[in-house]
Amino acid sequence: MPRVWLALAWHELSERARDRWVLLISFVFAGLASAVTMYSRSADGGAAQLTGPSLVTLASLLIPLIALVLGHDAIVGERERNTLGLLFSLPIGRTGVVVAKYTGRLLALTFSITLGFGLAALAASEQHRGVLSQLWWPSLLLGSAFLSLGMLISSISMRQVTAVSTVIFAWFVLVFFYDLGLLALLVGADGRVSSLTIERLVAANPAGLFRVEMMSRFTAKSTLVDLGIREQSLSRMAPLIWGLWIVMPVACSGIFLWGKKSV
Amino acid sequence: MKDVRLRDVTVRFGNVHALRAANLSLTGGVVSAIAGPNGAGKSTLLQVLLGLVRADHGTLEIDGVTVRMNEALRRDVGYLPEAVAFANNLTGRQVMRFFAFARGVSRNHADRVLERVGLRDAAKRSVRGYSRGMRQRLGLGVAVLSDPRLLILDEPTGGLDQEGLTVLWSVLAEYKQRGHVVLLSTHDLSLVEPRVDRVAIFRKGTGIAEGTPAELRDHVGLPIRVDLSLTDEPSRADAFVAAVEQAIPQLVASRRNGCFSVSIKPSDVLDLTRLIGGNSAVTQLRFVEPGLDQVYEQLLKEPAHA
Repeated sequence: MPRVWLALAWHELSERARDRWVLLISFVFAGLASAVTMYSRSADGGAAQLTGPSLVTLASLLIPLIALVLGHDAIVGERERNTLGLLFSLPIGRTGVVVAKYTGRLLALTFSITLGFGLAALAASEQHRGVLSQLWWPSLLLGSAFLSLGMLISSISMRQVTAVSTVIFAWFVLVFFYDLGLLALLVGADGRVSSLTIERLVAANPAGLFRVEMMSRFTAKSTLVDLGIREQSLSRMAPLIWGLWIVMPVACSGIFLWGKKSV
Repeated sequence: MKDVRLRDVTVRFGNVHALRAANLSLTGGVVSAIAGPNGAGKSTLLQVLLGLVRADHGTLEIDGVTVRMNEALRRDVGYLPEAVAFANNLTGRQVMRFFAFARGVSRNHADRVLERVGLRDAAKRSVRGYSRGMRQRLGLGVAVLSDPRLLILDEPTGGLDQEGLTVLWSVLAEYKQRGHVVLLSTHDLSLVEPRVDRVAIFRKGTGIAEGTPAELRDHVGLPIRVDLSLTDEPSRADAFVAAVEQAIPQLVASRRNGCFSVSIKPSDVLDLTRLIGGNSAVTQLRFVEPGLDQVYEQLLKEPAHA
């Protein structure tokens, strides 16, 4: 089992390294991150202070997209290419295939994020390198959560085109519209929604949790307080929420395939 | 793994019965084939055997023990899926080495298998550029890579040229000689007939006949054609033809340029040979048995057999 698992994970990694879409988005991310840090380096103090928030915004937009692109064809793509039967004929269980695929793709994602921040670090000043290093691990958590979601979408989709549409929809909802919805709720409810509810709603979305966690490091604390979010409460919940977002979709994906009559 | 049996396997997909109480027996050293029209349940049966499809009912027995196909058992199984495909951005060698690593086989052995299936020169080419036959050869290589004791081939002849077929026949002969269990599904019984020992015919998810090619021929009882070359002497030749027509009623015969062809029931073969025995009017004799594809077509027309 470990040998098959390792082979499959390595196979996934090497295949993803040749995937032109993954490469394209990764280099776009690396290019934009480098552009932000280069601009900050040449800018005056005020603009330079926006480096952290700018990189957070960039990461919260592009890393979910990279992760969803990486995950969306994991199962349904193999099924459409008629390669799934051969994989499942290897001495490994259905859940093992899902976990191995997730691991391989997570390694590719790690490489992509490291490449992005690494290239940006080359162009950054000493101070901004610290910002980039603070972003690496949370960005990886963010990517892991969206990759997990992508795997689930891939497992339950019958066709690859459905998986593509679903991940794009998920990206728009979780990255763009969710926060706008919360904002609308705050304004519309006019103070009738408790701060606890707001916290829970923010934390329910990995992109929101990432933004809040990172903004608390790079912006004034009052910004979060104004939104009714208590940073301490959120930081206590964060590990559990990240864990759930990373583990649950992959686990559901494995359970779904395990329970299916036919792969 | 010497004896593999599927008993009373039923698989339903919604309202569709892919398999209905299907049975299959496989033995080591015997090359078995399953044949049937599209939708007969051949691929589903192979996938049940591999554990890729879960049966609603039925059992898998290996060497007399009821088992469920699991990871440990799959170590001993090689599989070639129908219309096999691989990740397009890998080369043939990369594909083979991936499966070699996964199955704990050395790289050198993987390269040797690649050579055996005739892909040494194309090893560094991307699979994207492979023809269907080349992909089929690569799939065959992957299937036999770990020298499995149970080899399952789904439509293995599809897309293969003569060279590829020669490789396939050599693999079947080798596995048979070594006592491994081999099962293949096919549409083209005439092609595989000389290479298989037992054939199971499936229709609408159920086995309708099973046996050696000879047993199936006997079972169906299709006429055998006998070509007789007759002497140049018209009187002796005419006398012989008249004797045959009298001895064997309902004879279908044709006569042209000294050649007399008769189609007779298998049960009449003995009568005919008695007539020929010692008769100098016959100078040459050739029996042409019906092909397995004709037997198959006949079986599909008939109601289900035991």
